[in-house]
Amino acid sequence: MAQNKTHLTRAVILLALAAVFFITLDLGDSGSTSRLRRVFDTVFSPVENVSRVITRPLSGAWNAFRNYDEVVDENDRLREQVALQEGAAVAAAASVRLSQELLALNGLPTLAGINSVTAQVIGETPTNFSQTVEINQGSNSGIKVGMPVLNAAGLIGKVTEVFADRALVMLVSDPDYALSVKVVTKSSRTTVTLPPLPTEDAPTVDSVLETTETSSTSSTTSTTTTILGFTPSATTIPAEVVAGGGSNITVPIASQLSVRETGILEGRGPGTRPIVRFLDASTRADAIEVGAPIVSAGGSRSLAPPDIVIGVVSRVVERLGTAGPVLEIELVADLSNLSFLRVLLYQPITESGK
Amino acid sequence: MVERLLQLVASRWFRLVLVALLVLSLQTTLFSEIRVFGYSVQLMAIFVAVAGGVHDVRVGAIVGLVSGLMYDAVLATPLGISGLVLGATGVGAALALRSFREPTWWLRILVVSAIAALSEIVLPLTKAVVGLGGWLSPRMFAVALVTFVGGLILSAPFVPVARWTLREQVSLGRR
Repeated sequence: MAQNKTHLTRAVILLALAAVFFITLDLGDSGSTSRLRRVFDTVFSPVENVSRVITRPLSGAWNAFRNYDEVVDENDRLREQVALQEGAAVAAAASVRLSQELLALNGLPTLAGINSVTAQVIGETPTNFSQTVEINQGSNSGIKVGMPVLNAAGLIGKVTEVFADRALVMLVSDPDYALSVKVVTKSSRTTVTLPPLPTEDAPTVDSVLETTETSSTSSTTSTTTTILGFTPSATTIPAEVVAGGGSNITVPIASQLSVRETGILEGRGPGTRPIVRFLDASTRADAIEVGAPIVSAGGSRSLAPPDIVIGVVSRVVERLGTAGPVLEIELVADLSNLSFLRVLLYQPITESGK
Repeated sequence: MVERLLQLVASRWFRLVLVALLVLSLQTTLFSEIRVFGYSVQLMAIFVAVAGGVHDVRVGAIVGLVSGLMYDAVLATPLGISGLVLGATGVGAALALRSFREPTWWLRILVVSAIAALSEIVLPLTKAVVGLGGWLSPRMFAVALVTFVGGLILSAPFVPVARWTLREQVSLGRR
């Protein structure tokens, strides 16, 4: 009996030491813990799949009981929204295509050049202290740790664990999530006056853009265009033409440039809006408008390619001293209702080798 | 060789791994979908607390450490954190029940549920200690409350499961 107790005490000490050892390894980004997880997943996956099949009717019944009225209301609301957005989607698609063509023309990176894998959410986090979802695609589909994950609305998180045919995605709202972002500090409704063009060379995109004013002279056409949610001056600099020598010189007008602030987006847990911190201390809080769009900053060490839509500023908190303002963000993606996701096959340098 | 294998299969620790796998699969499927006010009931914590409550401190610690390490393996959190927290849960449940001379069945359930709920407060604290802050908020008390109520309902059926799983000797059919 006493010997049995000694054995058990030894086992407890050994297991506790093993737990501390694994924590140290994992926090040090050791690959051995990932291998251990994969081995365990091989054993656990079949058991989990069987359990999922058996318990599906129960969870379905629970969801039907809890959410039926909400689903009916949401369905009505969505039908109306779809009808409203069908027209806008055509215009948006054309704008995005134009934007991508311009970016490609200038040799700038675009999302169009990055392959993606579509995946379905098959499970939520089982614990109350992490914000992750499980998707039904894994390393067999080319998914790797660190890849950004989007839904139809915008960025929702990044891949943190990859198994053969499933992966875990950490959501933007997880306190461990951080990403460098850009805040476009000018209103998203921008009026741009395109330079005069000969009538025969006038843009053919008029049909998809909302033309507010058109004036014609005998040989040129001047078009003023308003595009919601699109800032042409971000990629094409407004210019003035100065006559110099025998040819015209194009000079950008600095005061008309859209200012972009960069900061770090951080999750703050479920039910709490993420924030953007570390904005330049010289940034005045009143220079950032509520509703200003937030997009990923990109860059060689960033976790995501540039210009992925994340959300809009919902509140600007000014701080005293040298600390810059803090922005509260309303995400465009609804993280509580995820179904189909898109994993961009883009692995950041900082995550390579995992 | 075969006899050793049979001994291993018949041991309570092998049964513990199998039962913990089943409980874990329920946690990651059914109980991650059935959320009460947005919080999931922590079946693993309840199971460990029950195991500690019906056995002694050492058995409770081992059940907690093994179950916790298995739980960590399917989560994105550092491997070992849940192991330590659930290990402490098993020990806590055994120690708490030791302080009563002859606890009644309802007292057992009450104590086990309270210890399981407490583990949901200790978990974010442990995460903060290793540098994973951000979870220390009033929300953890709501999580603990949901787990406490879940424990009141689910710990009773777990008592015979924990007793069978951790029974020291199982007959192999030989006399």
